[in-house]
Amino acid sequence: MRKELPISILSSVQKPERYTGMEFGSCMKDLSTVKVSIALAFPDVYEVGMSYLGFRILYYILNQDPEVAAERTYAPWTDMEDKMRAAQLKLTTLESTRALKEFDFVGFTLQYELAYSNILNMLDLGGITVLAQDRGEDEPFVIAGGPCVYNPEPLTDFVDFFIVGEGEEVMPELMNLCKSWKAEGKPGGRAGFLQRVVKLAGIYVPSFYDVTYNEDGTFAGIKPNNQLAPQTVLKRIVKDLNAIMFPTSDIVPYGKIIHDRIMLEIFRGCSRGCRFCHAGMVYRPVRERRKEVLKDLAHKLVEATGYDEISLVSLSSADYSCLAPLIHELVQELKEERVSISLPSLRIDSFSVDIAKEVQAVRKSGLTFAPEAGSQHMRDVINKGVTEENLMQAVGAAFANGWSSVKLYFMLGLPEETDEDILAIADLAKKVQWKYKEITGHGGCHVTVSVASFVPKPYTAFQWFGQNSLEEIKRKQNMLRDALKIKNITYQYHAALTSVIEAVFARGDRRLGKVLYAAWQDGAKFDGWSEHFSFERWQQAITAQGLSIEFYANRQRNNQEIFPWEHVQPGVDKAFLRREYEKALVGELTKDCRHGVCTGCGVCQKLDAKIIDWKEEK
Amino acid sequence: MQLTKETGIRFISHLEYAHTLERALCRAKLPVAYSEGFNPHMKFSLASALGVGVASQAEFAEVELAVPELDVQQAQEAIAQNLPWGIQIKAVDLVESTANKLMASAAGASYEVIVPCHRQQESVLAAYNKAESVIYKKPLPKKKGQFKTVEVKSFVPSIKGVFLESHVTLTFDILITATGSMKAVEVLQILQEQFCLDIDLPEADIRRINIYRLDKKGRKLPMLSANNH
Repeated sequence: MRKELPISILSSVQKPERYTGMEFGSCMKDLSTVKVSIALAFPDVYEVGMSYLGFRILYYILNQDPEVAAERTYAPWTDMEDKMRAAQLKLTTLESTRALKEFDFVGFTLQYELAYSNILNMLDLGGITVLAQDRGEDEPFVIAGGPCVYNPEPLTDFVDFFIVGEGEEVMPELMNLCKSWKAEGKPGGRAGFLQRVVKLAGIYVPSFYDVTYNEDGTFAGIKPNNQLAPQTVLKRIVKDLNAIMFPTSDIVPYGKIIHDRIMLEIFRGCSRGCRFCHAGMVYRPVRERRKEVLKDLAHKLVEATGYDEISLVSLSSADYSCLAPLIHELVQELKEERVSISLPSLRIDSFSVDIAKEVQAVRKSGLTFAPEAGSQHMRDVINKGVTEENLMQAVGAAFANGWSSVKLYFMLGLPEETDEDILAIADLAKKVQWKYKEITGHGGCHVTVSVASFVPKPYTAFQWFGQNSLEEIKRKQNMLRDALKIKNITYQYHAALTSVIEAVFARGDRRLGKVLYAAWQDGAKFDGWSEHFSFERWQQAITAQGLSIEFYANRQRNNQEIFPWEHVQPGVDKAFLRREYEKALVGELTKDCRHGVCTGCGVCQKLDAKIIDWKEEK
Repeated sequence: MQLTKETGIRFISHLEYAHTLERALCRAKLPVAYSEGFNPHMKFSLASALGVGVASQAEFAEVELAVPELDVQQAQEAIAQNLPWGIQIKAVDLVESTANKLMASAAGASYEVIVPCHRQQESVLAAYNKAESVIYKKPLPKKKGQFKTVEVKSFVPSIKGVFLESHVTLTFDILITATGSMKAVEVLQILQEQFCLDIDLPEADIRRINIYRLDKKGRKLPMLSANNH
């Protein structure tokens, strides 16, 4: 029986529809036939978490098994948390409204380092012991996966085991393993289950390893303390996306969520090789879905959801080998049903105004491009592989076809960056405005310049790079702000303080577990939301452990250094990344391996996989 | 058609509710009519907006079809299959497009409220029912400190109540007139503030039980002729 939250609580919190559930497509199972249950836990609010495709896929796949109940839970906003704690209510799932502690598994997705404090808070609210080592026999296994799993070390105090890589295959394996363990009467208890689970490929059980540090505080190494634990854990991937299930139905929320539309994943991975990009390294290799498969999925999803928009998602959708025919055919076939097609992002060099016009056929919105850096020098350093000419052609074509505003994404704080490179961002924005005047004969073009401060991530070419100091980031932001005081240019930038803490955790080690615990006890939550982030709180928690921000974020790491994340592998060779870093320092480009020669990242060989690009296949 | 808003989704807003129904009709592949223009929208309307927090056994929605005929039973099944867990369909009826709009024909709504109450206060309801005039100063949302004066008795002539140990169950009709209507929660506020009814307003469980039309003699008629069967 579902338990509804008290009316007096729901009537006094913001956005009560976050806690409602009961959506179309949500899966409410008869628990008497369910053998294993998992709460898919998103460490942010409902409308953010509901937009996450990974959980939509896992929710669908796991619930195909009638003996498995996969349910959803989200972080309650702080007003709701206060009411829940005052009324001693536990955090539950939306489906069966059982507390998280009632589940066999609670699985978190690690999208972003600043969401880690919410993981601790959700465990606590769900009635689960926060520290893994203190967890009782009857408590759930707390598991985690997602992009940040490629450095899981800051979370090892709280997570029983990690799922490394794509979950479509390993998650059902895990459910089956749990079914048989429970059917046998849970031999060996929790420890017994971990002994079984460690034998699955792609599972990292952190308590089966010991770590050591050098005198200077750097990481010395990690060794298994259990003979079943592998030296390294290689990610799991789905080799052929056409052979695997993709949801043909979906949950349709009552209210508006961030991505309120069908998300159709057209391919996985990106081989452009941008040197700052974490996703571009950890999701390799590129594997496309066939156009026919996608069209079939699109039709089924429109029918099953009633949505009027399909977003063709991937890391770089314009790189899909059959994009133009796919869009053209979908737009034609779905016109009758008033369904439009959209693309989440466009690369400047593969931008086609014909495609842009077609996807805008039903509704018109602004265009967004990501040159990432202002000068050619910087774009070569990061291997972005686009030129000013590419950008001018793209915006020129857009302006000639009626667009009058563009948004440009940049980063600052990149390796080898000079003040000239920063000022080049302002020049580029001005040139875009001039292009508009040249084409239309009048002014009035609106340019939004959005600038993020660069956070070096593990398993990228820039994993050795020391992040710019806080003062340096602020100086650069101010310099750019002054240079962009121009009519019709809007300058947006991210708070430098959050990117520093993000950098600490991105390349942190196990010692940060104590920092995270202390900061959470001191009230840290929703750190990705500026109104809740407190730099002082984090700074204090870090220094209280005898650690320093500088050590993790700003220190330039040397060529010989062993990193705390090397035992959890996406398959990219360290030697390849080092070559890429050295090429970056001299501004040398590396070509996309999708259509050319292998660049030696090592992923295909290690995973026994290959690039699937339908143009190349023909 | 007559639909419900189950208690579990009572905090979904009116707009979200309407949007959810449109999507369900879309999934049900009903041959509905769309407006012309650049952004066509479904010719769809709800009879009377329900306040956030109020559950309902009787929401009435009207959608224009693009075809002259429809198997009503089949349509009802198709819609039922495509509604979310929080909405049920009770009845479907087919009328000529020349018939009066639902919105225009709704004459009143019946409510039931269960609310914690710590005293047996039958006298409060008797006082309300006897009063010739009850004035409510409704705050104007866009003008701070300004009020619109409403004669409550013209909308809610009488209120019935059954007092139990810790709760009272109130039932009343709120008329829908050319000048507007009132919210059930406003009626409760008036009872609390002007008649000293000792209730915990934030815990009030408010449910709309029905919406009705009136015939020429002032007798209640169901909204849908299907409701007669």
